[in-house]
Formats: sequence, structure tokens, C-alpha cells
Amino acid sequence: MTPGPLPSTLVAQANNPIIEWEWVVDEWDQIWQAIVEHLALTMMAMALGLIVSAFLAAMALRYRWTMTPITATTSLIYTLPSVALFALLAPVFGNLSRWTAVLPLAGYTLLILVTNIVAGFQAVPPSVRDAADGLGMSRARRVWTVDLPLAVPFIVTGVRIATVSTVGLVTVAAIIGQGGLGRLIFSGLRRAFWTPMTVGASLSIVLALVIDAVILVIGLWLAPWQRRRKAALS
Amino acid sequence: MIAALTSLRPSQTAVPRDIGFFEWFFDADTWTGTTGIVASLQDTVILCAAVTLVAVAVSVPVAAILAHLRRAEVSSTWLVSISRAVPTFAIAALLLPWSLERGWGFEPWPIFIALLLLALVPIYLNTYTAIRQLPEGPVDAARALGYSERSILTKVEVALASSLIFSGIRVAAIQVVATEPIRAFLGGDGLGRYVRDGFGQNNNTLVIGGIVLIGGLAALTGLIFVALERLVLPDGVRRLTRQQGDTSP
Amino acid sequence: MTTSTTRSRVVRLLAPLAVLGLVTASCGSDDDSASNSNEPATSEAPSGNTDPATTSEMTDGPTIQIRGQDFSEAITIAEVYGQYLEAKGYPVEILTPAGFRTEAFDGLQSGDFNLIVDYVGGTQVEIAPDAASTADVDEIVANITDPLQALGLTLLDYSPAVDGDAFVVRGDSEASTISDVAELDYVLGGASQCPERPQCLVGLEDPDIYGITFADFITLEFGPLLGEALANNEVDAVIWNTTAPQITEQGFKVLDDDQGLFPAQNIAPIILTELLEAYGDQLAADINELSAMITTDDLLAWNTETDIEFRESDEVATEWLKSKGLL
Repeated sequence: MTPGPLPSTLVAQANNPIIEWEWVVDEWDQIWQAIVEHLALTMMAMALGLIVSAFLAAMALRYRWTMTPITATTSLIYTLPSVALFALLAPVFGNLSRWTAVLPLAGYTLLILVTNIVAGFQAVPPSVRDAADGLGMSRARRVWTVDLPLAVPFIVTGVRIATVSTVGLVTVAAIIGQGGLGRLIFSGLRRAFWTPMTVGASLSIVLALVIDAVILVIGLWLAPWQRRRKAALS
Repeated sequence: MIAALTSLRPSQTAVPRDIGFFEWFFDADTWTGTTGIVASLQDTVILCAAVTLVAVAVSVPVAAILAHLRRAEVSSTWLVSISRAVPTFAIAALLLPWSLERGWGFEPWPIFIALLLLALVPIYLNTYTAIRQLPEGPVDAARALGYSERSILTKVEVALASSLIFSGIRVAAIQVVATEPIRAFLGGDGLGRYVRDGFGQNNNTLVIGGIVLIGGLAALTGLIFVALERLVLPDGVRRLTRQQGDTSP
Repeated sequence: MTTSTTRSRVVRLLAPLAVLGLVTASCGSDDDSASNSNEPATSEAPSGNTDPATTSEMTDGPTIQIRGQDFSEAITIAEVYGQYLEAKGYPVEILTPAGFRTEAFDGLQSGDFNLIVDYVGGTQVEIAPDAASTADVDEIVANITDPLQALGLTLLDYSPAVDGDAFVVRGDSEASTISDVAELDYVLGGASQCPERPQCLVGLEDPDIYGITFADFITLEFGPLLGEALANNEVDAVIWNTTAPQITEQGFKVLDDDQGLFPAQNIAPIILTELLEAYGDQLAADINELSAMITTDDLLAWNTETDIEFRESDEVATEWLKSKGLL
């Protein structure tokens, strides 16, 4: 695989630059479609992941002994190589079904989400809990009115990390035909046409960064005392 | 011996679709040859090892020095937030045209750089955080005893933080091994080739074989590092860190 | 109080998110359908240039769903047939291109779509693998017609357009026939289907045919990447197709198939027999009319536009149909 002399045709291919803006403008429909698909997969995976994680976290908080097996299982799923996991589910759901991608993607979010949700609820200071109990609140009322809001920052951080990593993994889902921007990358690769590759790849990076910022802002909006606390500490 | 196993001609026959997994797995032809398991394993291991080594060589000193000097607090926290946003596949795909246009072919640069970026982050973060969070006591004591700053860093701080640093390297290595298979879809080979070829030929045996090999290697990497940790780290440090608690996933 | 603010905000956030989630999850449905990468032709073609009576008959029938294989030529061919039929007034859906021959036949039989255009030589290998490979297209048609019928599929007339297999090397290679390669220690590049295909690696290595032992086999995506790898010296030879425009563009040469390994590869539409019966003779006649008009030069021209000039397949198809007065 020694790199040979650069064939003159490659260099002379002026119509194959790293990015050709005209194509971007012309094919905007296609690009937009890919972005929407990408976001849809991300949201579906996150929704499923959150539901399952909430359930697992509730279990872990209620029955302490389940924390270890839950952490162990979600860690195991987390280290499963994405290529392998997509490949594993492809024959089950059919190569081109959305669920083949959504299930592994949701699986990868579990570790972060469960860890963070549990940490959030565990971070509620015991004194606050006692105060709430002292006020005569029922357990359910306390969890809903006191614990949950205080756990929000942790949960939001978990959601942020999980969503951003999901956006990145959705591009890999293109190997089984699902994958929004990943499809753009592959179609570009197949045609040795660099523009869709560049567009698909850079957009997925940009998308991840944008979503990260958006969730960060939402997190601050949901729990404004964080900003006040930060201001007070510095 | 590896050279002998891997330089054989590619298998003369294609893998039939109705062959069972175990039959395929235990067939000598599957393992030998330029497209065999040994060769692919070699490809994968070499790339992952190279990436990990370079990542350690770059990240650990930089993170250690910055943490010791109490610098770069802000940029390190910024790194935390974008650390998960490393879409390895996208980066490798982005670098492919650049590599091809320069006549460097499909490999190794695009996938190497993409995996390197992936590995740098956990190693950097763990090293930085570990040294930064060290209690003042031992460091002050060392200073009082007249250790040079450099000695403090290398003999005291790194030693005390070694367990966390090591776990950062372990996480990085596992992530690299787990992500490396995407290389087969970008013009390369390695263990990911069985999944790729299985998809291409509609052969589930190949796909399953690929999954088993990839998953197996990832698990093995974890085990190797746990064993390495036991060998390399001083007992006292391990006891200490178990008390402090390791929060990395 | 901050906590009640947070709670109400969480609730206010969840409601629109749930709505957004449902909307995005439902739009752009499950499998490959109208949300395709080469834009559905449904918006473009004017409906029908035939008399109103036939037009309304046609639009009442089942939707013709055509899906091309995942490489530029097949995508363009699917667009050409799809847009053409739509202009004739049939309800047509051009699906997102995906997979190769195996997936094409699987999809036909599972009802995912009902029309494909395939290369007859390849069809024979897939459907009638025991029949002998031959360069005579009529023989091939004879071999595959009945097996296709048994699967509920009808082979329509083949087109004069041919896209055959090509054994391609760089211009400076010493070989001029494929047999010459046996002496050289070449690295072969091909698609991942190649190692299992009789007209590919299997036939090349078969001692009764060519008996070549390659130094290595590198799997590459079928298409322009084969040319890139060849030009970059990553491989010394590739199994490509005769209408790949890069062959002349980059000064490669196609070696002579002296042992006759490669079969005739005219393109021919294969349709679900039920669909054909639903529309009667008119559909078959319309499709055959189009097939007769496509030539090998057309295939080459289309490939040049999609692979060298990077135009999109649907545009190339529209332009060609217009130039032939079919749109």
C-alpha cells in the first residue's frame, strides 16, 4: 500500500473540491432531509433511553442492591462496539428498519443517564429531605416538589452528554442504511464525490455542538439557581 | 510465525452462506491468509496500540504539567463538554478526501487521526482531574523536603494519581478498540471487515463472526488493562484510590 | 420559589418536546420510501400525454414501485424508467436506492417494490446459477425466463444497452488479456460481493477458467472508488464495469476476456407478474418501448454526468427523457 505518485487526474479534478457550494445550494432539500432524519433518530433514541433510564434509576434508588447489577449491565452495553451492535440487530428487524438503529442508540445512553439521574437524586442534601419530611410532605410529594427540581441539573448534564454522543453514533448507523447525515457521507464516498462527504461529516459535528449549547441553555433556564450559585462562589 | 500465517494467499473459496458460525470459526482457512482473522487482528491491534501510545505520550505530560501549574482550568472544563462530541466516524470521513488528494490512500491517516482525537480526551481529562484534585498535603510536604518542581510532578503527583490516570488510559483503549471497526467501511480492513463483507454478501455467519471478534477484543482489552494495572501500579496507590473512589464510567 | 419555577418549566418543556418528537418520528416513515436521496420524481413529470380515458384507467391501478441498486448507473436507470412511466400517467414511486442484486430480488419477493431493472448475466447467476455462462444474450434470456416466472416475476424485453463486467488495469500494465495476469503478482480490488461471484473472483481463480492467484484481494465500494484505488496504486487491477467513464478518463485499460468468463449483460426490466396483469398489455408495451430506446452510449453518457460531472441522477434522467421527447 505504498503511496504512488499522485496521478495527474486526481489533482486536475477541479470539479471535485473538498466542498462545492453550488451543490450545497442545489441539493439543500436532500441535505435538510438528512438533518431531519438525523434529529428524528436522535430524539427517538433519547426518548427511549430516558424512559428506560428513569425506570432503572428509580429501581436503583428504591432498592439499593440493584445499583451494582444495573451499573454493570449498562457499562457492558456501553462498551459494545457500535458496529457490532448495529450488525447484531440488523437481521432481527431487517436491514432498513429504524428500530435496528434506535435500540442500540438508546442502549448507549443508558449508562450516562442512569448514573446521572441516580447521582442527581442522591445529591439532595439530607437536611433538605428532613426539612421536607418535617413539613409533613408525603414521600411522593417530596420527590416531586423537592428532589426532582434539585436533581434537574444532574439530569440535564446527563441528557446533554448522552444526546451529543448519540448524534455522533447516528452517523455510524448509516452502515445499516439508517443514518441521516451518515447517508450523505456514504453516498459521497461511493461516488468519490467529496462534497456530500464534507457536508455530511461537518454538519454532524456542527449539529452536535449546537445541540450541546441548546441543552446547556435549557438546563440553565430550568434551574436558574445554578447561575446564581456560580456567581456567588466566584 | 505471524508473518507466515498472514502472508498466505487469500482463501481460494468464498464463504458459503449456509455455513454455521462454529464451522467457519474453526476452519483453518478463516484464520490464515491475507484476509484471515490473524491478519485482520494484527491490523486492528497495531492501529489501536499505536493510537493509544501516541495519545498517552501526548496527553499525560501536557495534562500533568498544566494541572501541576494550576493552569488551563477553563479550557479543561470546556473540553469536558465537547469531549463527547467527537464523532469519530464523521472526522475520519472528513479526512478521507484530504488523504486521497494527497496520494496517501485510504489509510492510515484519516482513521488514525480520528481515533487519536477520541483517545486523547479521556486520558487528558483523567490525568488533569486526578492531579488537580490531589490533596495539598503530600505536595506541600514534598516541597518542604526540598524536592524540585519536576520531581514533585513525576515522583509525587503522577504516582498518587496513577490509578486514575491508568483508568483513563483503560477507558480510552477500550473506546478505541470499540470504535476501530468503522475503518472497514471507509476503505480499510481490520476486524470490521467481516461485518462489512457479511453485509455485502448477505452472509450472516460473517456478520456474527465479526461481532464476536470485535466484542471479544474489546472485552479482552479491558481485562488486559486490569491485569496491567495490577502489575504496574504500586500497591499503596491502589489502596488509596479505592478509598477515594473512582467516578469515571 | 425556585423549585416551583423549575417544576413548571420542566412541564412546559416536556409538552412541546413530546409533540416535536411525535412529529419527527412519524414524518419520514420507517423503511425506504418517498424520503429518498435522489428526490422523488413525483413533483416533476407532467401527467400523461395520452387520451384522458387511458390516463384515468392507469392512475387507478396499483402504484408502480421501482427501486434501483446502490450505484450511480442503476440509480439513473431507475429514475429514467420511473419518470418515464409517470409521464405516461401511471402512479409511480421511485424508492430510495439501496442494496444490490440480492436485496433487489428479496425486495421483489417480499413486496417492498414491484419493478427493477437488472443486468441479465447477473440475473442468471442469481436465479439460475447452474446454467452455463454465455455471451449470447438470447441464451441467457432463455435460461432465466422460466425460473423468474416460478418466482412470480416476468422478464420484459431486454435493451440493446449493455454494461458488462470489465477487468481493468492501469494503462502502463504489461497485460493485454486476462490470462496474462496469471504471470503477474497482482493485487485485485473489487466489491464485497466479488469473492462469492462466479463471474468475479471465483471464476478468475478457477483453474478451469483462468486459474489466477492474486497477491491479495482488497474490498472496495463498487464505483468510482475502484478507480481511485487503482490510480493510487493501492491495487493493480479491479473488477469494474464497461460503462465506467473513469476508464478512459484516467487512461486505464480493459483487458480482453479471452476465456469468455463474463456473460452478456444487457439491461432488462423485471416486474412482478401481478403488476403486469393489473395493467394489461399497455404497461408491457410502454416499458418495452423505453427499453428499446436506451443504448450503451446512453449509459456511458449518464455515468459521465453523474460520476465525472457529479450531477444528480434524477436531473440526468429528466434531461435525457426530454431530449428524447418522452417527457
